[in-house]
Amino acid sequence: MFSRLLVVLAFLLAGCVLFAQSAPASAGQEPSNQALLDQIQQLQKRLTDMEEHQRRTDAALAALLGAQGVADKTVQASTPAAPASEEHSALQAGEHDHAQIREATIHYPSLQIRGFADVDFAATDQKGTTSGFDLGQFVLHFASPLSAKVSYFGELSFTAEPSTYDVSVERSLVRYDYNDYFKMSFGKYHTPIGYWNNTFHHGAWLQTTISRPEMVKFGGTFTPIHFVGLLAEGNIPSGGLGLAYSAGLGNGRSSILSKAGDSGDINDNRAWVASLFARPARLYGLQFGGSVYRDKLTPTPGRNFDEWIESAHLVWTKEHPEFLSEFSNVHHRDLQTLQTYNSQAFYIQLAYRLPWQENKWKPYYRFEYIHRPNFEPVWDINPTPSVEDLVGSTVGVRYDITNYAAFKGEYRNTRRGVNEPRVNGAFFQTAFTF
Amino acid sequence: MPIRWKIVCGVLVLASFSLPAPQHLFAQAHDVDVAVVVQPDTPVSNLSLAEVRKIFLGDRQYWTANTPVVLLIRAPVARERDVVLKIIYQMSESQFKQYWIAKIFRAESVSAPKVVYSNDMASELVTALPGAIAFVDSRDVRPGTKVVRVDGRLPGEPGYPLR
Repeated sequence: MFSRLLVVLAFLLAGCVLFAQSAPASAGQEPSNQALLDQIQQLQKRLTDMEEHQRRTDAALAALLGAQGVADKTVQASTPAAPASEEHSALQAGEHDHAQIREATIHYPSLQIRGFADVDFAATDQKGTTSGFDLGQFVLHFASPLSAKVSYFGELSFTAEPSTYDVSVERSLVRYDYNDYFKMSFGKYHTPIGYWNNTFHHGAWLQTTISRPEMVKFGGTFTPIHFVGLLAEGNIPSGGLGLAYSAGLGNGRSSILSKAGDSGDINDNRAWVASLFARPARLYGLQFGGSVYRDKLTPTPGRNFDEWIESAHLVWTKEHPEFLSEFSNVHHRDLQTLQTYNSQAFYIQLAYRLPWQENKWKPYYRFEYIHRPNFEPVWDINPTPSVEDLVGSTVGVRYDITNYAAFKGEYRNTRRGVNEPRVNGAFFQTAFTF
Repeated sequence: MPIRWKIVCGVLVLASFSLPAPQHLFAQAHDVDVAVVVQPDTPVSNLSLAEVRKIFLGDRQYWTANTPVVLLIRAPVARERDVVLKIIYQMSESQFKQYWIAKIFRAESVSAPKVVYSNDMASELVTALPGAIAFVDSRDVRPGTKVVRVDGRLPGEPGYPLR
């Protein structure tokens, strides 16, 4: 009987194996190995979830039984071990839940620090320059919620100088949130003019390219990069248009035009800035907006200028493609002669995250342009003009080595000033966050 | 049980392993809707997909002036996370990480979404944390949480967008 049964089973097994091997190999229906592995991973995950769920249900039941067990202990004294262990596991489950909730709850203050750094190499055919490496900027960002509605943000940069490091507080602000429509901050922040200055802070890893556009470069004077004062910002109820605003009042530029008035204003006039932008819900990735900035400049005692800056931007922030464009007009009026001067700058940047090799490659191109009058008393306050005419193209590629480090290489062709020769340069950078 | 029946059972189990994989079961797992759940006290019951996106992008941070939004998202590999990254964020894993680093240090948000490791954990935290919002497999929705309609539809209804 048993041997016959074995024979039948052997046939059955052989049939199953043959059936499995002869399954139709339709190319359209067969999932790839990777797809199957993914499915297995997902099933494993689901199994873990189910096990976890089962464990908790068991623990809850055990807790109930345990409670009954305690009540009946005097009667059922012969089996004390089981309820005790069940109680213990229920307690453990409860502790586990509490730990999860504790972990997920924000504690105040809760300081997060993130560092950014880059190492660069530059070589150009400009006479009088040397090629070589430099350390770029070492930057520390701080973010710390102080309560459910109050938070602090800070940014500290260390920039290599020939004999030392220049340490600078780039941002230091405390923000009070009332709701989504009104948030107020006090301190030093990046002036909300245009797009780049308010989006890409210090830390080259954050931006696609090696360098910032000239019109918003750190240490530049075309637009005021920093602002010390107060800033109100928030969303505007506007349905699918996604409007948001910011409005600030502060010290404006100091006598050194590239610096903000960290230690106090240079004159009794406050600068103000207002910006409005939209992120339409139907076109996720699109942002456009404009801003106005007003200040009174006193670059040297006794010389005063009115400054108006109008700016507009249009960007598509997704990386397939990425499109950034920004325009600014800087208007100065000499308060002695009442003469006016207008300078314009814009850039257009295009990038595309290639779909191959896990989206690691991102080629880009940027065209930038600055035009200023031949004589501009604010830019020419020092023997070396702080703003020059500029026409430049940058073409390069970014390669994301990991999620937190990138390698960039780019070629630049620029002409500064009028009738000056073009300069060609090759630049490389590795930028990372830690 | 006699030894022969043990052998029979063992052979049958082995035979079952050699059968072709039930592909239709895998296919079903992929089609399950992902539910958006919040605490029952949260003053929301219907959101458009654009509003869900705005919330998960950190552009809307408050339900009411006193109730901040607490974002919960599954850890990598989970299907719920894949759905959220693909449909809500439209980002890869690395773009998502980069987005939140930049968002926090632009002073636009104080923290990234909190990571949860199971649907149970997501449900527990939604129940425990006021203002919490999470995505869970619609089969794992637990009592004590409220399922939010997306574009007027609940999970399982035709046209539900989070799948």
